[in-house]
Amino acid sequence: MATEIIATEGDAMFAWLIWILPFVAALIIPAVAKVSKLSTGRVAIGFAAMSAISAAMLFPMALEGHEIHSQVDWISAIGLKAGVLADPLSIIMANVVGWISFLIICYSTGYMKGDKDIVRFWFWMMFFIGSMQLIVLSDNLLQLFFGWEGVGLASYALIAFWYRDKAKHHVGKEGRTVLGIMEYYSPTHSGMKAFIMTKVGDVMMLAGMFLIFAFAGTFGFKELLADTAWAVNMSAEGLLVPAVVLLFGGAIGKSAQFPLNEWLLEAMTGPTAVSALIHAATMVKAGVFLVARLGPLVFALGAAGILVDQFFEIIAWVGAFTALLLATQAMVNPEIKKVLAYSTGSQIGYMMMALGIAGLSEQFVDGYTAGFYHMISHAMFKASLFMAAGSLLHVVGSRFMTDMGGLRKKMRKTYAFMWAAGLGLMGAPFITTGFWSKDAIFAAVYESGNEWALPIFIIAVLTAAITAFYTTRMMGLVFFGKESKHIEKMESEGHHIHDAPRSMWIPYGILAVLTIGIGVIGFSAEGGIHELFTEYLDESFGIQTPHIDVEISGSLGFLSGLNPIAVGASLVAFAVGFGLGYIFYIGRWVDPVKFINSNIFFYALHKVILNRWYLNAMIYWGFVIAPLWAARAIWRYFEKTAIDTGMNTGLERSVRFGAKVVQGTQTGVAQSYLFVFGAGLLFVVLILLI
Amino acid sequence: MEYALLQAVFLPLLLSPLAYIIGRKVGHTAATWFTFGLLLYCTILIITASIGGTYEEHYPWTELFGEFGFMLDGLAAPFAIMIYVLCTILALYSKPYMLHKFHEFFKEQAPKPVYQSDGTVLESVSLEKFVNRQSGVYYALFLVFSMGMLGTVLATNLIEFYIFFEVMLIPAFLLIGFWGDHPRRRVALMFFFWTHVGAVILLLGLLAIGLNVGSFDFADINETDIPPGILLAAAVAIIIGLGVKLAAFGFHIWLPYAHGSAPTPISALLSPAMIGIGAYALFRLIVEFLPQTYADLSIWISIWGVATMFYGGAMALMQDDIKRVFAYSSISQMGYLLFGIGSMSTLGLAGAEMMYISHALGKGLLFMTAGVLIVHVGARHLSKLGGLAGKMPITAVCAFIGALTIMGVPPTSGFMGEWMLFYGVLETALEEGDDLRTLLFALGLVATVLTMSYILWMFKRVFLGKIPENLSKVKDGSWYMLAPMMVLAGFTIVVGIYPDIFLQKIMPYMQGVLGG
Repeated sequence: MATEIIATEGDAMFAWLIWILPFVAALIIPAVAKVSKLSTGRVAIGFAAMSAISAAMLFPMALEGHEIHSQVDWISAIGLKAGVLADPLSIIMANVVGWISFLIICYSTGYMKGDKDIVRFWFWMMFFIGSMQLIVLSDNLLQLFFGWEGVGLASYALIAFWYRDKAKHHVGKEGRTVLGIMEYYSPTHSGMKAFIMTKVGDVMMLAGMFLIFAFAGTFGFKELLADTAWAVNMSAEGLLVPAVVLLFGGAIGKSAQFPLNEWLLEAMTGPTAVSALIHAATMVKAGVFLVARLGPLVFALGAAGILVDQFFEIIAWVGAFTALLLATQAMVNPEIKKVLAYSTGSQIGYMMMALGIAGLSEQFVDGYTAGFYHMISHAMFKASLFMAAGSLLHVVGSRFMTDMGGLRKKMRKTYAFMWAAGLGLMGAPFITTGFWSKDAIFAAVYESGNEWALPIFIIAVLTAAITAFYTTRMMGLVFFGKESKHIEKMESEGHHIHDAPRSMWIPYGILAVLTIGIGVIGFSAEGGIHELFTEYLDESFGIQTPHIDVEISGSLGFLSGLNPIAVGASLVAFAVGFGLGYIFYIGRWVDPVKFINSNIFFYALHKVILNRWYLNAMIYWGFVIAPLWAARAIWRYFEKTAIDTGMNTGLERSVRFGAKVVQGTQTGVAQSYLFVFGAGLLFVVLILLI
Repeated sequence: MEYALLQAVFLPLLLSPLAYIIGRKVGHTAATWFTFGLLLYCTILIITASIGGTYEEHYPWTELFGEFGFMLDGLAAPFAIMIYVLCTILALYSKPYMLHKFHEFFKEQAPKPVYQSDGTVLESVSLEKFVNRQSGVYYALFLVFSMGMLGTVLATNLIEFYIFFEVMLIPAFLLIGFWGDHPRRRVALMFFFWTHVGAVILLLGLLAIGLNVGSFDFADINETDIPPGILLAAAVAIIIGLGVKLAAFGFHIWLPYAHGSAPTPISALLSPAMIGIGAYALFRLIVEFLPQTYADLSIWISIWGVATMFYGGAMALMQDDIKRVFAYSSISQMGYLLFGIGSMSTLGLAGAEMMYISHALGKGLLFMTAGVLIVHVGARHLSKLGGLAGKMPITAVCAFIGALTIMGVPPTSGFMGEWMLFYGVLETALEEGDDLRTLLFALGLVATVLTMSYILWMFKRVFLGKIPENLSKVKDGSWYMLAPMMVLAGFTIVVGIYPDIFLQKIMPYMQGVLGG
């Protein structure tokens, strides 16, 4: 593989343009708005398309396994350079981000139509795309961190987009409390929560970056790989694993993994286009991308004899636990966007699990490909599901699934596309990308041969069953059964319920069709990526894969590459989840409420899950209420008393008191002055005598 | 360009009577633009002088004290530039704010007209006259205040330094005492008292050094000439004296009062420009001149810094008055500076100086926001504000950029300061294998989360959420106020993306200090 280090000519130009163009759009959109507010949408679409096309121009190069590394001077006082690193990993990612953003921007023109703050919306959307592509293409950690904080900033601004805090933009049910904590959040509160919680991850990431910089003297990925003496030194001091785990802390925050997962639910207060783009398809994947960026580097160090297993174990377990934790909560939530949000966090858990397991197995590339492929397929079907959910919200005007129901005849297109994308999420066998990517993860976990492989495998399969269940539940509640009272009321008021406009359904239609379309050739698509990454890991990181998989062609021979246990588990999980979901929510043979109340165990379990495992409430008690209480105590009993009264008033009083004492002696009576004078004289004389 | 710095420092002082006369005879607009033009000229002088290497000017002074000089080196240049840039744009910003203030005062203070028996007015002071006279005094004091701050960072002699250090207090005292908010006289006195106590303690340290060395010139100071016992005492005195100036934890009590009560343009100079001069002096007097003592004391400076970061942040959470939020936030930010100064590493020190720059930009923006709120909304209590982003979009954007700067989010300059500063602390901790420093580093990172919390919460309560009904007619500020804010907002982003503007000067100086 040829690595070209060039300035900014040729193909490198495209690598720079991918992330610069959206920023340019963000800057000119407010100016364009002065001329015509309507054309801001066109500018956004145009620039998003140009950015995506720039990414596409590099795609052939990625397939050939070439890479571009282009640098310019940046902070020359410290000797830092800015650069782009376009290798197969980042080019594929840039294409995923670029094209999905383009579709979502198109969708937004319909979804946000008529919003009077549309300029602000376009500004932040373009700012977001630019920052995200900056993360993807950066060649060093510091520059990546710019993008990292940039997406966080855009996320904050867009979650709180409807900053006037109207009741319809809140999430949660009004008046619902858990352990005394209200679980009903306004957009502005949610934005703050997201920004601060991810910041906790970000400071960990900064600490990790600094540790590495202190030993390596560089932030650059290429430079870190070129000379690994720093890793040897760090490892000798026992700091290597802490440093990379701290870096992973950033990924935990950004990708909403346990224990920094709670912000993602409240992030649903943003416009649905935002949820689709930022909180499903791209930004939350930044953490996965970071692990994908660093994973091979760390694994290569491991191959060189440095102990790094703990890093991958932590990743795998955090991923597995999050996958289960959030999937369970998706089963019971009544709000459609929240179900999808839980599902997003849970699916990202899968990706982390795969990337972690990759580092623990002989064949790094298996888990690596599986995690990355799942990220791509998830980006497609989840963006599609979110956009479809957005059009439901748009039409029905309520975020609760209990306010929907029976919509399959009225919104046929949405119904069909949601099934297609939903089947992808469930991992419906053989025809969806979701099946192949999930199957690849199962196989990678099962074949890793690690001591933790079995428990993680069981969690993965269990989560897959739960996923199939809650997706079926969502479909059942929204499209099957009787129409809810809310819909009847709307119709009686003269609202005609029908599919969303074309600008909205085409984008999610495309992605839904792709989910199935690529799914049909899913296994060979995975094989292609597998092959590409095998070569990439070998050439760039020196990670050898013991044996190259069999040639993959369109024939049925490919099935020989499948792991029967993984496929079997996948099928069983799908069948169980879908079957139970069908019984409760589509066929409606058993009433779920009665079922839960029938048994104290189910009742308790339901309550714990519905209360978010009490995690959210505990975070509020520990990190919001307790610090505020402490600050108030210090304010009241120290700042206002000891410092303020003590130093200001106290000083003033003591001076006044002193003045009074001195004043008392100034009687103006000559006799008393004489008396004191005489007494003093006597005193001096006595002292002299003794 | 001869006499560039002499002009930059003394022109404002010499021409301050002219500002008064112009204000009184011609009008407040003329006084504003005169002050602005003069300071702009001086700013350009400084910027041109600072291009290239170290720039020095020396003038004969008395036998007793030594030379009277000005030096613009890698340390002083960023401070000097930031101080005058702020002064220049705040001169414009002052116009609408002070006009608002003068009108308020006219109602309270103007002498009652004297009536003749038949009811006609015999003698009265018109509003216009009152305003012109007041603005004349205001701009004259403003110029002296500016020159005091600049002189402090350019001085090359301990006594000269001290004189300028005190010179900036007097106009600040008068500015607060004349046009502050209630109780202005008391607050002005408190401000003067505490900072003066600090200055006197500082003077003790300066004299101890100067007398032992036998010269007050910066160039002659050599740590080894001073007996160890006196050296330590002098260093501690200097640090404590400057700690009062920085309003570090324990000596911070004057600051919330002064910043809260001062007229907002002056708050926007006190906080971003003036208190940070304490950090400048720590760099110059402790880090540069007493490197050995600095090495011994640095850990204590760091600890003090972290304590200040937390304390200021926690107290900022508890405030309802927006100017007091920013005041406590300034205390917290000064903690960052102290933390960086205690880092004992090139990048950490450079980061601390970058923090001064970004604090000047960010807090300047935030205080100017508070001013816009006071003039155009008429409220400064967070509980009475809300949802203003839609009513005053430009102010909200500028305030948001200021908030990002204080939080240290890229692409604002705040991040550039913060990462270098924290990295510097960690670097020393790793080099020395010092667990305490590592702990401080971790605590410092936690403090950044605290900073983020109070700033975002403040922003939410002012600009987001539901708008109170009585504020539904609010309009955005005038261009006199918005244009200066936009300049600062642009500046912070430029520095955040391309910090070389300042780092090219700062880094060689810091390397020289720690290397030598």
